[in-house]
Amino acid sequence: MSNPKKNGLLKAAFSALAAMFGVQSERNRQEDFSSGSPLRYLLTGVLMVALFVASVILLVRLALMLAGG
Amino acid sequence: MIKRVWLLPWIGSLVSLPAAAAWDVNITPGATAISREVYDLHMTIFWICVAIGVVVFGVMFWSIIHHRKSRGAEARNFHENTAVEILWTLIPFVILIAMAIPATATLIKMYDNTDADIDIQVTGYQWKWRYQYLGQDIDFFSSLTTPNEQIDNEAPKGENYLLEVDHPLVLPVGKKIRFLFTANDVIHSWWVPDLAVKKDAIPGFINESWAIPEESGIYRGQCTELCGRGHGFMPIVVEVKPQAEFEQWLADTREATVAQAASATEEWSLEQLIEHGEQVYNTTCAACHQATGQGIPGAFPALAGSPVALGDIDAHINIVLHGKAGTAMQAFGAQLNAVDLAAVITYERNAWGNDTGDSVSPQRITELQQ
Repeated sequence: MSNPKKNGLLKAAFSALAAMFGVQSERNRQEDFSSGSPLRYLLTGVLMVALFVASVILLVRLALMLAGG
Repeated sequence: MIKRVWLLPWIGSLVSLPAAAAWDVNITPGATAISREVYDLHMTIFWICVAIGVVVFGVMFWSIIHHRKSRGAEARNFHENTAVEILWTLIPFVILIAMAIPATATLIKMYDNTDADIDIQVTGYQWKWRYQYLGQDIDFFSSLTTPNEQIDNEAPKGENYLLEVDHPLVLPVGKKIRFLFTANDVIHSWWVPDLAVKKDAIPGFINESWAIPEESGIYRGQCTELCGRGHGFMPIVVEVKPQAEFEQWLADTREATVAQAASATEEWSLEQLIEHGEQVYNTTCAACHQATGQGIPGAFPALAGSPVALGDIDAHINIVLHGKAGTAMQAFGAQLNAVDLAAVITYERNAWGNDTGDSVSPQRITELQQ
């Protein structure tokens, strides 16, 4: 998996995504735990979960719309 | 309703294997369009699982045999492989989504309770079902009729052992029936596989479901939420009739209700009351108090020689009509008509050596009910 080091926020988002997916390389994990503040990861995580919930809601709306509901 | 049925062809191509359908252990294709869809989904997912099983176990056994130690195989010790991990997460994800799409299409149809022709409220009781045809003046209880001798292994079991009732739920062919489920005491669940309806009946809640029976016939089901001692003794029988016969049944049932009300004003002899009371007792009371009147020690009190059945008549009537708080004794005042109540109380006061000679008239019950 690529390793976007340039931007801290992007990296945090990438790590949150990896955590939600359930797969993360050991190298990235070590980097995450040695750099940046935990708060950044926590906030990114919360934001990603909120985005996930919103996308599920949209998906259900879409499914009901397609069904003619 | 669903307009996009573009998924169905590929489901059909997977399920048309006849071998599985002939097996009795499988679920039934049922008697409605929805039940067939549910069956097709079940078979689709079943064959997907079979394919996954064949691939996974195939690779596993192939690996075991080809990389065995006697061939000089050596284990590769590595800790992680991100690419493989992503792959084995993505593949099940894709399979699950592929199964979810047709399943969602069917679920949306199953939840579409609109535009029903007939509304029927189904209420679970310990241990019987009550059917109320809303706005149709039809309201009756449906109780088990399997004789106690069969249950107690004293007689050979009948063909529909524990799947037979006195008053089946009668439905017309080709009409959309909406069921409203609730319960009077504990959680029950109304399940008729042929209609693909399985819904919890919960006190204080109304659950909805619907069915359009396509063919005349008798469909049987059971309570599927453990609801106490009589859980296995409250079957469901659905009788589907052509529209004309259904209307005849409606008329007959209304007439019978009127006739029953009239018979409550007639004079009943002690013998008539006892004879009728025994029938009522066996379908309504025997599940707890037993056909012998002995009850079940520690759970349900005996009626033979009981102070209630031998004591004050009004106290006896009161407990049958209104139940007894804190016990399993229900209020039968709303479940039985005046004749049934008078008869069963008379029977209880004269059976199993309770020779009081007391007779309770239907008129007396009618007075107390008002």
